[in-house]
Amino acid sequence: MRKDSIQSPPRLFMRFFRWYCHPEMQDYIEGDLLEVYERRIKKSGKRKADILFIIDVLLLFRPGIIRPAEVYIHVNNYTMFRSYFKIGWRNLARNKAYSIINIAGLALSMTCGILIFTFVTHHLSFDNFHQDSNRIYRIVTELHRDVVAYRNCVPSPLGESFRSDYTFGEKVARIYTERDVLITLKEKDKVLKYNETDGLAFTEKTFFEIFNFPLLKGDQRSVLVDPNTAVITETIARKYFGDEDPIGKTFWLGNKFPFTVTGILKDFPENTDLKAGIFVSYITLKSYDPWLANETDGWGGIRDGMQCYTRLQPNVSIAQVESVMPAYVKKHRPTSKNVHHYKLQPLKDIHFDARYGGAMEKQKLYILSIVGLFLIATACVNFVNLATAQALKRSKEVGVRKVLGSLRRQLFWQFIFETAIICAIGIVMAIGLASLILPYANSLFNMHMTLNPFTDYMLIYFIVSLGVVVTFLAGYYPALVLAKFQPVTALKGKVTQQNVGGFNVRRTLIVSQFAISQVLIIGVIVVVSQIRFARESDLGFDQQAIVMIGTGNDATPTSKEALKNEISRIRGVESVSLCFTAPASVDEWGNSIKFNNSSEEVNFRTSIKSADAEYASTFGLEFVAGRNLTPSDTVREMLVNEAMVRKLELESPEDAIGKVIVANGGHMVASIVGVLKDFHDRSFHEEISPILITTYTDDYENYAVKLNLSDAKSTLSAIEGVWSQQHPDQIFGYEFLDDSIAQFYESEETMLKLIQTFSLISIFIGCLGLYGLVSFTVTQKSKEIGIRKILGSSAGNILWIFWKEFAGLILIAFLIAGPLGWWLMRAWLQSFKFQVEISVWFFALAIGCSLLVALFTVSYQVMKAAFANPVKSLRME
Amino acid sequence: MKKYQLGEFEEIVILTIGILNNEAYSVSIKDEIESRLSRTVSMGALHTALKRLEDKGYLKSYAGESSDERAGRPKRYFEITAMGKKAMLHAKETREELWRAIPKTIFQINLEG
Repeated sequence: MRKDSIQSPPRLFMRFFRWYCHPEMQDYIEGDLLEVYERRIKKSGKRKADILFIIDVLLLFRPGIIRPAEVYIHVNNYTMFRSYFKIGWRNLARNKAYSIINIAGLALSMTCGILIFTFVTHHLSFDNFHQDSNRIYRIVTELHRDVVAYRNCVPSPLGESFRSDYTFGEKVARIYTERDVLITLKEKDKVLKYNETDGLAFTEKTFFEIFNFPLLKGDQRSVLVDPNTAVITETIARKYFGDEDPIGKTFWLGNKFPFTVTGILKDFPENTDLKAGIFVSYITLKSYDPWLANETDGWGGIRDGMQCYTRLQPNVSIAQVESVMPAYVKKHRPTSKNVHHYKLQPLKDIHFDARYGGAMEKQKLYILSIVGLFLIATACVNFVNLATAQALKRSKEVGVRKVLGSLRRQLFWQFIFETAIICAIGIVMAIGLASLILPYANSLFNMHMTLNPFTDYMLIYFIVSLGVVVTFLAGYYPALVLAKFQPVTALKGKVTQQNVGGFNVRRTLIVSQFAISQVLIIGVIVVVSQIRFARESDLGFDQQAIVMIGTGNDATPTSKEALKNEISRIRGVESVSLCFTAPASVDEWGNSIKFNNSSEEVNFRTSIKSADAEYASTFGLEFVAGRNLTPSDTVREMLVNEAMVRKLELESPEDAIGKVIVANGGHMVASIVGVLKDFHDRSFHEEISPILITTYTDDYENYAVKLNLSDAKSTLSAIEGVWSQQHPDQIFGYEFLDDSIAQFYESEETMLKLIQTFSLISIFIGCLGLYGLVSFTVTQKSKEIGIRKILGSSAGNILWIFWKEFAGLILIAFLIAGPLGWWLMRAWLQSFKFQVEISVWFFALAIGCSLLVALFTVSYQVMKAAFANPVKSLRME
Repeated sequence: MKKYQLGEFEEIVILTIGILNNEAYSVSIKDEIESRLSRTVSMGALHTALKRLEDKGYLKSYAGESSDERAGRPKRYFEITAMGKKAMLHAKETREELWRAIPKTIFQINLEG
């Protein structure tokens, strides 16, 4: 039509019509449509004609006119797929090296993918099995002083008050967990002792009404009501009582408090943060810890482990509940400078909020997922790289297929299908590998993940979609390139490297691969240096050869003193100090003090370390002013550190000497006699806190023993001898100080192991790709190498030609990886108050490593070609 | 007799094809029905009916010349087959039989009432 541009009907609907119409009728009906349309334009204008056209098209969309679904393709696809499979398989078998590299790379990266997926879903599933879990909250505390601190516990009376004063909570439950407790079973003639590290929880009955931890035996209504009754998990029951019926049996806490078992809980699933296995009635707390159980004194402070959970009524908002909380602070803590803010933390956040002791930050899960994606991307990149390099070999096949009538679309799918074969083999291997590695991963993270690719639907979905995505990611570009060949050029053998998706694509891919692995290497180097920095820096006190030994919970101040003297007489013991904790420890006693007769508390937190006069000498603490404590069994003198002097805004340490400090709610009044040089009392994540050391004997929990390491073993067993004599029914436990300090960086160590593994894998995959690519270019250039050799170039020269090329790529990769790595690691270091300097050496090392590995990979192939006799490569034509 | 089944719209279409004799193609059929019966006929309904009639063997079609106003698309002319004619007659006869069977009084009453 000549007037086409103005008078054509709406294109979209025309296309729609052509798409659905039965091909037999399409021409005729289209003719009708156009004829009528033309007529209507003349009669009533284009606009109306358009509308009527659209209506016609829509009304034509009916059975009888719509094309039958694929009625033509009655061809038997089975044979075609069998042919694809056969050709694909032959290709794999013929290019063994190429196949192995591809499959290995894909399998490795998908193994990581599967493991990371399992890890992430395991963490995301934490505590997701409780009813109405969106209404369950933990009440937590923000402590506002000069800085804000976050605690996952509350003053003990809060739960009871909240329950009786307000109707917001459908259920409110308090639970006080005491960790590392001594449990004893008294049988006829012997005493069985167990140290329960996960502890024992004083629990209100309502706890099990909020949370879905079902009771196997016992009466839901009556358990945990009476004093001195307990419910225990199946595992604990088996451990204590074997196959006997545990109901009615008795066990003892710390040899003093008997408990009768009245119920058995089903073992908890792996994905809960509740780790304790013994639950005793909350009312028993009255005799176990009167201060904590007291409904008024308890407001004075918060004890670790004292938690409160609530399930709110429907339609109660967080803001509503949090708005009534300040009244409690006003009523019970009117003067304290340590201002409490009670907040509601949703159950689903508990596992992830590190401020409140959550085990796994969401951010870490994201990082891990991204690393997993990176690894998979790297393997796909490899595949693309090798496949396009290999494409040339298959150009003839494509030519023949096209001549015989294959469409581009069919060829595309053929190559996708081949990729799918490789991918499927990779996945099967990956599943196998992942289940082999899982036990190691579990022990590394101290978890119990399971991998069951047959019953876990999420995992099945993941694996299937992983396969599909990887197939397309890896296969799409090569398939496109291959399907695009012109049959004539392909058959004449005139397809050149230029036609095969330029070399630049592959260069870019190599660069991105090496950029990823360099970022990971930089990560490893920075983490290693930071950990080493934290571990090897001078902490301001001795940590070598010092062993911390618990005092045993039935010890009295006098018995402790006696045992201390006994220990100090043992050969090999250099000195002994009775103290609360070592200078650096996770256990702390925070306090608000009053300084210099002021009636107001200071606005910062002070860590009180109760210790005797030998503390400073045992740990090698240095004085900057004043003198050491004199031995005493009451609080008479105090030592502080420089941080305290700074916080009190005194001009010099000497100014502090002689000033009076009131601490522990007025129970401790003494003057400062000495100022200690600052030492790191916590991990490098945190600032040095203001510290107060005094002879408060009630709080002594450890003997710090400095050993002569030459014969530590026999000395330790001698100490155990005297200790056990003193405490026959307790368990002797000790820990070397440097080990417990190393535990500060446990999560960093885990992270280090992870990035180490991942960077190794990524380098390995990258090298596989490089190796494949180089071996291909070398074959391509074998004639060039031959000619060069004949013209007199040495093996070194030839090597240099290749090196130059790949070294250049790695340098470009570094230009991306360097800044990225620097930025990422600086962000990571922010979590440390004391950081290692990021130095140029880190980056030099990273690029050096990748250069070395890459050059080594390249050299092997190139050397083979460079030393070959040029005649061999040149005589063939 | 199931053999000569004709729907109401199908009957109209096949009758119109008869009227148009050799000039019956979709648009002319549509125009004819629209002008004679003053009802609109959608393209979709018409083509479905034509296809169904052809499938039943009452119509046969052949491709005609292509014309400029149809942007080069051919016309498809329809003619009635022998079986189609039988079906038409059958339809007519059954109707008449039914008419005859209606008692005359019905119309009388209606006229009086």
